Amino acid sequence: MQKTILLQKLSGIQTIESVRDILHVSKPMAIYYIHRLRKNGYVKTRRQSNNHRVYSISIDNKLGGKSYFDIINMYSPIKISTSVTYQIYGKEPGLEEALSYAIKTRSLRTILASLALFKKISNWTRLYNLAKENHIERQVGALYDLSKKIMKVRRMTKRFRNYSLSQKKYRFEYVIPGLKSRDFVDIEKAWKVYLPFNKADLDGFL
Amino acid sequence: MITIDQQQRLLFNVARRLKEKITAYAVGGTAMMFLGFKDATLDIDIVFENEKDRNTFKEAIKSLGYLEMNAIKVYGVKRNTPEMFTLDEERFDLFVIEVIDFIFSPTMRKRAEQIHQFGDKLILKIADPHDIILMKCATDRLKDKDDARKIINLTKINWDIIVEEAREQIYLGKERAAFDLGYFLEDLIKMDLDIPQQMLDKLFDIVEKQAKSKKSKSHSEEK
Repeated sequence: MQKTILLQKLSGIQTIESVRDILHVSKPMAIYYIHRLRKNGYVKTRRQSNNHRVYSISIDNKLGGKSYFDIINMYSPIKISTSVTYQIYGKEPGLEEALSYAIKTRSLRTILASLALFKKISNWTRLYNLAKENHIERQVGALYDLSKKIMKVRRMTKRFRNYSLSQKKYRFEYVIPGLKSRDFVDIEKAWKVYLPFNKADLDGFL
Repeated sequence: MITIDQQQRLLFNVARRLKEKITAYAVGGTAMMFLGFKDATLDIDIVFENEKDRNTFKEAIKSLGYLEMNAIKVYGVKRNTPEMFTLDEERFDLFVIEVIDFIFSPTMRKRAEQIHQFGDKLILKIADPHDIILMKCATDRLKDKDDARKIINLTKINWDIIVEEAREQIYLGKERAAFDLGYFLEDLIKMDLDIPQQMLDKLFDIVEKQAKSKKSKSHSEEK
């Protein structure tokens, strides 16, 4: 069987059993096909708690690079599995970029998981510049204050807060359109940003 | 031929030499490599949103030693041929929005969801498989038919997307889009590919309507 056909048929998370089912082959043949793909760099192997092997088969494994989701998953207790591909090559994506990307996705779970990045972010100038570029300064500020309520975070610089804190002329904005918080109204008022989370949503961090 | 590893290294080298941040779209064989349909390609096909981005990219590849070549040698006498640059066996085909007989439309750009960023300056979005098939019918080469066959065999194709895009192309002024696509797909059927007859009927309907409206227009002009 051709390598590209194998790759397309087996792309995703697989076990020996699932490979056998998909290709209708015996166990030794399934092992051989995985071996062929591994030799070409398409396979990453993990082990389950029962010591069974789980194969992650993807073209991305060969291409290398890192995604913002890898960074978020590295630091967050809430893990994200996504079909979105945003691979970065030739540089290590920063935490600040990952946070700004997460907010821009407007995905509830991605933003929730990315709150953990505030524990590690130290380059506030970089974060401010990125936030300003993407017009999300207030969203970053509000999410920071929210994170501060549930976990130990690095201190935000006064300059960041002063530059981005809400002014009278600002209108309320959403982090995720249509979603408001019942439990963090004080933060919402301070930053003039509607937060998409309630207390119960943040259980994963406690 | 350029392999995946060579392509990665090359694009990273280009990104390092770019003077400005640019976003471009990978189409053709390059996109197929990023999507795992192919191991190697003859050329790196890239579509830019504007001439300025193409010039920035051109400067970067020229500084790597690439030399301009004549597009007629590869594409024949066609409109909207790319600017081509070559070094040894590697070749860049650089388009701006128009890819031979097709426009890289806003809907195509929206469908290009996979993003690959090289360094800080080169963001490459990968064309959707449906759009790769469409653009393959713009060129009349056997290898393009082979590529389209590979994609159709290996992925689930939503034929409605392809018909809708053909309509969009006509709306954008590419009147031959439905006709060329139908012709291309008929060739693929001859290669034993399973393409639904309904889809061909829809394309034929579009072409028929186009012909009728042209006829009535010419009649009214004569009167």
